[in-house]
Amino acid sequence: MSAASTVDRAWHSPALIRSAGLLVTAAYATFIVWAYVAQPRTLREVRGGVAASIGAYRIDPVAFDEGLRFFRADRFAESRRAFERADQAQRDARTQYYIAYAFLREGWGRVYADDALYRQAQVSLQRALAASPDGVVRVDDPDLTLKTSDEMAEALARGLRRDASDLNPLSMLEKRP
Amino acid sequence: MTSVRAAHLARMAWHEAFTLPLVLLSAALLGGLRIDIRGGLAFVPPPLMALVLAMVLLAALYRSGALDPARLIHPARTGLANASGAVIIVSLGAAAAQTIAALTPEAGVLALVFDVAWLVLFANTIAARPDRARLLSSLLVILGAAFMVKFVVLGALYAPDGSLTKRVVMALVEGVSLGTLAYQPAGPATGYVAFATGLLFLAGIAALPHGAEPTPASTGALVRVVPGEIVVPDPPVE
Repeated sequence: MSAASTVDRAWHSPALIRSAGLLVTAAYATFIVWAYVAQPRTLREVRGGVAASIGAYRIDPVAFDEGLRFFRADRFAESRRAFERADQAQRDARTQYYIAYAFLREGWGRVYADDALYRQAQVSLQRALAASPDGVVRVDDPDLTLKTSDEMAEALARGLRRDASDLNPLSMLEKRP
Repeated sequence: MTSVRAAHLARMAWHEAFTLPLVLLSAALLGGLRIDIRGGLAFVPPPLMALVLAMVLLAALYRSGALDPARLIHPARTGLANASGAVIIVSLGAAAAQTIAALTPEAGVLALVFDVAWLVLFANTIAARPDRARLLSSLLVILGAAFMVKFVVLGALYAPDGSLTKRVVMALVEGVSLGTLAYQPAGPATGYVAFATGLLFLAGIAALPHGAEPTPASTGALVRVVPGEIVVPDPPVE
């Protein structure tokens, strides 16, 4: 008996068909639950989410490097565009962290913090945390003062808080994050 | 077991393990999908009322014979076959809830009106006890009417632009004011998705196993084995 006919016979076995059907159905149901929980807003995010779930998602390294160059030159709007191009599905924790950092640096002022930009930074930081498997993001970049998501979350919360410390003149001497 | 019987069992297994769950789960997935004018996606879970209505609809399907739970879950079936049957029933419930949700306005007085109409129609169907064929025809009309009202009439009435459909509908209901009835029309693509959802759901119901369990004779087998004896059926009448 040839191998082909053995395989053909196996696919006539109801038990095998039902087992395969249950596996396929379970995978499809998992995808449906993921779609309702993760709420992807574009087909690109759907594709990226599926690719990330099987470990096949990759960012565009050229666009990422370009974003990094803009970021280091303090051209934050341009850097965000490049980072968003690099991570179209918003699934890469490091890229989303840099986007949050770009909002933070642009919103940071010696005497005030731009609340709107800080809130956008919080949204990007949330995306970075969601994309991180262990719930924390660490970026080992000597150019960054805040190297973990915890530090950045606290810096953003401090910037958005209204209290007496806002009137402290010494805060003008603080280093840029 | 003859090869004809084996092929029949394999076909049934394919149908229950792949076709029905995938069709019904697709209806459940698409039923919650909303696409706005800019192409943004949103996956909306079914509201509680849609779940209640889905259960009433399942009761109507059961009463009409369109859904026969014994054909899906039964002690005489194998564990895997029962698992397939359970998956079909759960998928059917999810598909029913999401199809109803897709064809109902999201909120407001119009949502309430739709919910009451669904409930009355399904309860009426249970009370009337139609057979399977009539229930399928009735469901086609009910779902089609809901689609027409939500996506064609309401969609045209509340469309931001003055389309031809809007002018026609306004001419037909001349003198009627919309008053304070709030309604947020979905993006045009959502209508197409809802249409596909309704068709998938109806196809899933139509494809559910129904009627008496096929006997070996009906599947072309020459010999049917029963405990203790061998029965050779009469040749089929031409």
